[in-house]
Parts: sequence; structure tokens; C-alpha cells
Amino acid sequence: MADTSTNESSTEGDGEIKVTIGSAADCGLDRDSASPKQAQLPLRQVPQPIVNGGSKVWDITERFTQASQALKIGQLVKDEYFTLFESIGALEIMDPKMDSGFLQPGETLEENYDALRTLLPEEVLGIMDQLLCYEMAWHQGYPLSQTLFTSVYIDRLLWPEPRSLEEAQFYRGNPGRVTDALQDVLRAYCLGIIKSCDFVIGKITSRDYFEEEDFCTHTYNRSLFSKVPHDFVLHELEIAEEILATDVDDIDETVKAAINCRLEFRRNFLVALSPDYSINFLDKYWPPVSALLPAIESSHELARVVPDAFSTKIQRRLTSTVPPRPIVELEFKDAFAKLKQLCEDCAEATKYTFLDPAPEEYQSFLWAFASRKVQPSAYARSYLAGFVFAGDNEIFEGLLRDDLAAMVFPEDQVLDPINWTIDAPRNPLFPKDKRLQMASIIDDFTNRAVQNYVELWTALCQNRCRMRRMLCHSLLAFDQLQSDASILDDELQALTSDLQQYPLTTWVYHLKLRQIEWIIQLGFEQDIYLPDELAGMYLFLAKVAETRNRLLSTLLEFWEQRQKRLEKGKKVDVEKAAKVQEGKAYIEALLAEAVGTEELSAALSSLYTLLSYLHLLPQPPRPFSSPELRYDLRTKPFALLQPVEIIPFDTLTTHIHPFGPHAAPTSPSESIVKHLQQATTYQPIDASVKRAKDAFAKLKKLGPKAASAEGVKEQWSGRVQGRLFSCVAAGVAVAGLRGMAGELVSTADAEGKLRVEGVAEGEGEGKRYHEWWIVPKVVKL
Amino acid sequence: MNNQEATAYLEQLIGRSLRLYTSDSRIFVGQMKCTDKDRNIILALTYEYRQPSEATIRKTVESSGNPSAQVPLMSRYVGLVVVPGQYITRIEYEESQFSQGTVVP
Repeated sequence: MADTSTNESSTEGDGEIKVTIGSAADCGLDRDSASPKQAQLPLRQVPQPIVNGGSKVWDITERFTQASQALKIGQLVKDEYFTLFESIGALEIMDPKMDSGFLQPGETLEENYDALRTLLPEEVLGIMDQLLCYEMAWHQGYPLSQTLFTSVYIDRLLWPEPRSLEEAQFYRGNPGRVTDALQDVLRAYCLGIIKSCDFVIGKITSRDYFEEEDFCTHTYNRSLFSKVPHDFVLHELEIAEEILATDVDDIDETVKAAINCRLEFRRNFLVALSPDYSINFLDKYWPPVSALLPAIESSHELARVVPDAFSTKIQRRLTSTVPPRPIVELEFKDAFAKLKQLCEDCAEATKYTFLDPAPEEYQSFLWAFASRKVQPSAYARSYLAGFVFAGDNEIFEGLLRDDLAAMVFPEDQVLDPINWTIDAPRNPLFPKDKRLQMASIIDDFTNRAVQNYVELWTALCQNRCRMRRMLCHSLLAFDQLQSDASILDDELQALTSDLQQYPLTTWVYHLKLRQIEWIIQLGFEQDIYLPDELAGMYLFLAKVAETRNRLLSTLLEFWEQRQKRLEKGKKVDVEKAAKVQEGKAYIEALLAEAVGTEELSAALSSLYTLLSYLHLLPQPPRPFSSPELRYDLRTKPFALLQPVEIIPFDTLTTHIHPFGPHAAPTSPSESIVKHLQQATTYQPIDASVKRAKDAFAKLKKLGPKAASAEGVKEQWSGRVQGRLFSCVAAGVAVAGLRGMAGELVSTADAEGKLRVEGVAEGEGEGKRYHEWWIVPKVVKL
Repeated sequence: MNNQEATAYLEQLIGRSLRLYTSDSRIFVGQMKCTDKDRNIILALTYEYRQPSEATIRKTVESSGNPSAQVPLMSRYVGLVVVPGQYITRIEYEESQFSQGTVVP
């Protein structure tokens, strides 16, 4: 049985390792010629190899089958390093849900659209616009396989992989073939699209992004002309424009103009997307692209669709692990809106490079950009992040020092540039110059903090949901940083007494508190908290803002002292005093914002508490959770912070559950109603709203310059105005409740008489004055 | 063939290049990783080959004018796959330069 006949023919085939099956005919022929030889040896069956181009192949069907039958049930013969876990990832062949090569009976593998057929000019227009729709669908986050790669034309250009741009033709092979002029035009447009995609992927992958959450960069083993310089593609587009002008003369002029403006658009778009930009001309890239958009929109009606030119079947030839999925259809209207927004967002992003180089200005810009009405797409965000992170960590160390100067070291000797120019004494026993010591403490701090600082900036460049999650991580890093900073503060304090107390810690702590506020407020924006949790979360926010308020008040005192002292000094000092006064406005703006946040949150918390007892807030059934556990969950990101920021649940309860649980109060209904009818109940709320309004009004008066938002004045003013409106709305809601309370006999009455709007999930989206402030609307029925 | 022989026979094929022909006329070429009593076979680093459709063959013959023109098989990379035993119609072992003589087919 055990015959060893393989060696006899081993000399024949060596050399090629790579085995390819040349053609179907090859295999068939060899198989036939092998079988008669086997028949000549009936008694001692020696398997014969099929020799094919230097490699040998044996038919082992029989023996393999026999051997596998002799295995025990459950016995696996396997590679010892191959694990069950890995095997789960294997695709099951012939399973219609997994096997992308599986064909239903009668189904053909390939589409039968002829890419070389003569096209009408209107059809060319139709295909171009359809491609644009798919391109935008891809920008929205759908994979290429379901969008652009469904185009037969694009497929022809990309596969088999062309070695040069010249080879990328709708016909393959057969050089020198004469093609139709319109085909050439369409080809150039497709090349432009492909190269644009390459740039987009390059830009997005160079920044922090989340695959499939933000964007799909998968190209299914197709190369998108990454190695072809984009000038070549631009040249193709220019030639196409010429061809259109000279060789195509028997078509309607309006259609011709429509095709031409699309080519022109593609050319400008490609230039704008190019990663090689000149910083001086940055404001010149996007306007020409935007300028061509109206012409595209208005001429779309001339287009005639060619549905056959797109097919899901192409997906089978892609390196993909899933069977074909449907094409993502995006209406031209929506796709166009998307494109328009992309151009606007990118044009806006270029403004970043023209800002005053101050960290606060930059951050205001990032916030304004992230808060744009329609969220900027992954590309636009990466485009902006490209400017933000254009330099290395040194730039951020510089920003960090500027940030420190603006917060805690007003015209301070600690950050005097002179300090960095002093050499260490040659004799190590000599005491070091104090200034040098200060410089090295600050260097220690920036070295330690810069990574966390960069991460914070990274978070601000993400999509809104991701931003919140990343801030939660950044928060913990800053918590750690805070305790480290206190050590350096002690060292600084030993060198000079002329300091804000614990300057570095103050800076870190302030930023930490701001991050907590952002996390909570982004939670409101993203409807993370349910309506009946709002009272608790606003109370928490009020407490955090109060802490920040106290911190900033002390800081402001210090700034004022410093200003006064400098004013009394020499001429140089008086000049410094003016600078301190200028910088002080920033602290004042921060303080006004903190006070406003504190007061408005406190007012809303009280208002929501009252509304809860009237059962006016939607309350989902929650058989398996308790308020305490839910509160634990909501405050989890803040649980580890030192000092403790979370309000203990017991304290929280006394504030928001003064009459016992909302659903089943322990106090009698009448006493709650009585409480609601007393004027004293509303006085503190009204007072809070008023104080909040005053604080935001003060912020408005201080203006964007004080708040370091000069670059985004309009958005900044809009958001402050939104806060002011939120205060007014809160006042109206309180008045509405008070007006109705008199008519109530028991808490159960309220449901028939009042309705609360703008609170339930999704209801407030886009309707709030400011996304961070969920202000209820109390409506009389 | 007893169980011991069978196991030994199959074990020598682990990591070797196999060609599996399936009932829908496709060929899978990859490294064998695992098999069992039902002849289910897991292949790694697999390529799928498929006969060109009749239409393609006709077109090639027409365009070249040569009735015995070569039409290449269509291939694509599919990675790690499990081919259920019931669909396998033919198994071939492909000898590589490095495994010469080490496997008894």
C-alpha cells in the first residue's frame, strides 16, 4: 500500500514556485493524458503527476477521500498552529451569505455592459453625474464597493492593474486603438475621480479617523493611481477639454458646456484635494471649485441616466469577503448638497492657517468648526486636522507655553524667554541660576504634558460622538497630570513667591473642569440623558461649573493684583500692565461663561425636578434599574477623578427628590401642589435665570476678542446669543409652570392641563437655541 | 486504510498546496490547514479560479479569429476558506520546489 514513487520524477520539475493554471484547456488536456498511464498499472497503482509548466500535480481525490473516511468522528487533522478561533474567520464556500463567488441558478458572474459602445453626449453627462453621486455617498461613509466601484467604466480602468496611465483604457490591451472622442472625455473624468479618491484616502488615513465609523478607506486591492503624479491626470483632463472643444462638434452647445464645466470642476477639485499645497495660496484653492457648482446643478436636467453602466456584479471581482451588496443610491440633489457642503467646509478649514497664532484662538476655531450646522465630513475634518497637526510636538509645546501664559503666568518672569538662554554653571557645585531652574521646571512640565495636550486637540478634531468619548479618556490623563503638576508647583514656589498659587495645577485643573463640562454638555447635545435624568445631570453640571467659577475668581484676583502692581512700576512695567489688562479680559470671559453655565444649569435642574413631580416628563419603564445605578453609570467617566467632582447620590437625592421618588412620592400630593403654588419655590429659580442671563450678557459684551474667538466671530456670537435665548426660554418655562400651578388640586391633574415639549429624545434636534441647553417648553392645553 | 495511516497521510498534506475542484466548476488553490471526517477542508491564502463564460470565449475567438485562442481563467484572492466536503469533486496536490519528495501523494 505504502508506495514511494514520488522520487522517480522529482528531477523533472524545478524552478518555478509560482503555480498558475494557464487555461482551462491546459488542465483538461493534462488530466486526460495522465489517466491512460495509470490504467497501465492496475496492480500497483502509482500516482502520476501532471507536469504543468515546471510543477507537478497529483490527483489525490481517491486517497484523500479514503483517508478522511477512516478518520474518527470529531477528529481533526490540522496545522498545530491553526486555532479554532482562526477557523471561524474562514469563508464557507457555497454558502450564499458568505461566498461571494456563489451564483444562483441562471445568474451570470459578469455584467454584460459594453464599455466601448458609442455614447450619446447626454449619456456621458448622466454617467458623470451618477459617478458624482456615488463619490459623495462614499464621502458619507459607504464603501467603494457599493458606490464608485460599481461603475463598469471605473472597473475597466482599474483592472487588470494598469502599469501606466496610458494603459488605463476602457479597452484593455490592443494599444493604438482609436476611440470615440466622448469616450476619451469620459475616461479623463473617471481618471480624475479615481485620483481624487486616492487623495481623499491619503488625507484621511494620515489623520486620526475611525474606519467604518467615519469613513471606509478600503480599496479592495485596487490601486487608485497612487503612484501617478496628479499633474498627469490634470493633463488628461485638460486634453479632454480640448478634445471636447475641437473634435466634438455635432452636439448641442448646452450639453457640451455642461460636460465642459464638469471636466473643469474635476480639475479644480483635484488641485484642491492635492496634498501638496502652498500655504500662501491656501485661500485660492476652494473658491474656483465652489464657483463651478451652480453650473453643474443647473445642467443636471440635461443628463440621461445609464443604469446598465453600473453593476453590483463587479464586487465579485474585488478582494472582498462578502457577496455583492446593493448599490447605495444617493439622489443627485442630496449628493450635490453634500458636495457643496464639502467645498464650504474645506474653504472654512483653510481659515485656520490665517488665525492669530494663539492656542485659545485655535481652539475656538476647532469648536466652531465641529459645531457647524451640518457636521463636517470625515474628509473636511481630516483636512482641518492636517493644518492643526502640520508641525511636530514642538509646536504644541509652544502652544502649551502660550496657553500657560494666557491663563496663569501674566507677564511673568517664569516664562521670560531670557530664562532659556542661560547656561548651566560649569562647576556642578555652583548653584544654578534661578531663571535657569524655572526654565527647566517649565520644560519638565511641557515635556510631561504635551502628549495629553495633543490628545485633547485630537479629540476636538473628531466627529461629535467620538469627541465626547475621547474627552472622557483625555480627562483621566489630565487627572493624572494634575497630581504631577503639583510637585513642579512646589519647586516653582520655592524659587519665587511672586506667583499665582499653584499655577501649573490651576491650569491643569481648569482645563480638566472644562472637559467635564464639555462631556456633560455634549451628552445633552447627543441626547444621551433621558428626560427624567436631566434634573440630576444639570445639578451635576452646576456643581462643576461652580468649582470652575471659584477657581477662576481666585485667578482673576491674582491678575488684578498683578496689573495694579505693574501699573505702579517703571515705564516698562506700565506697558506690561496694559498687556495684563488685555489678557485679563480672557479670564473674565471664561468666568462669565462659567457663572452663566452654573446658574442656568441650577435653574434647569430645579425646573425639571418640579416637572418630574407633575409627571410631565416622559418616563420609560425600567424594571431592572434603580436611579442610583443609573446615576453611577452616568457619572462613570468622572468616578476616578481627584479631587472628587461627583455629587454623592444621597446629596443629589435631597436636591432632586425632595418629596421622595418622582413616580411614587412619599409626601402627599397636596403638599407637593402647595409647594408648587408658593412664590418662594420660584424665587430662587428666577434669580438663577437672571444671574445666568447677566453673565451671558456680560460675555457678549466682552466680545469675541476677549474670548479669543476673533477668527470665528459670527459663530461665537451666535452661540452666545443662543445661550441668552436659552435663558429667556427657561424664564418663560418657569413662568408658564407658575401660571398653571394655581389651578392644580393634585399632582395628577397636571397631565391634562400642561404639556412639556422639546425634551423627549430627538424632539429638540435642530430646534434648540443652543444644543447644550435642553430648555423645556411648557404648553398650556 | 486504518485510522493511523489515514491520519499520517493527511497530516503530511498540512501546509501543502491543494487544488480543490467544486461542483460549480470553480477551483480553489490554497494551503491546507485542516480537514475532518466529512472531507471539509480549510485552505489558507486561497485563490479562486473560474472558467470564463461561454460568451467571453466566443468573443475572444471572434475577435482573434483563432478558434483555439487561449482564454485565461478568471482568478481572485479569497484568503481563508472552508470548502464543505460535499461540494468537492476533485482534489489535487501541487508539489512546490520546497516540498519535493516529502509528501506521498
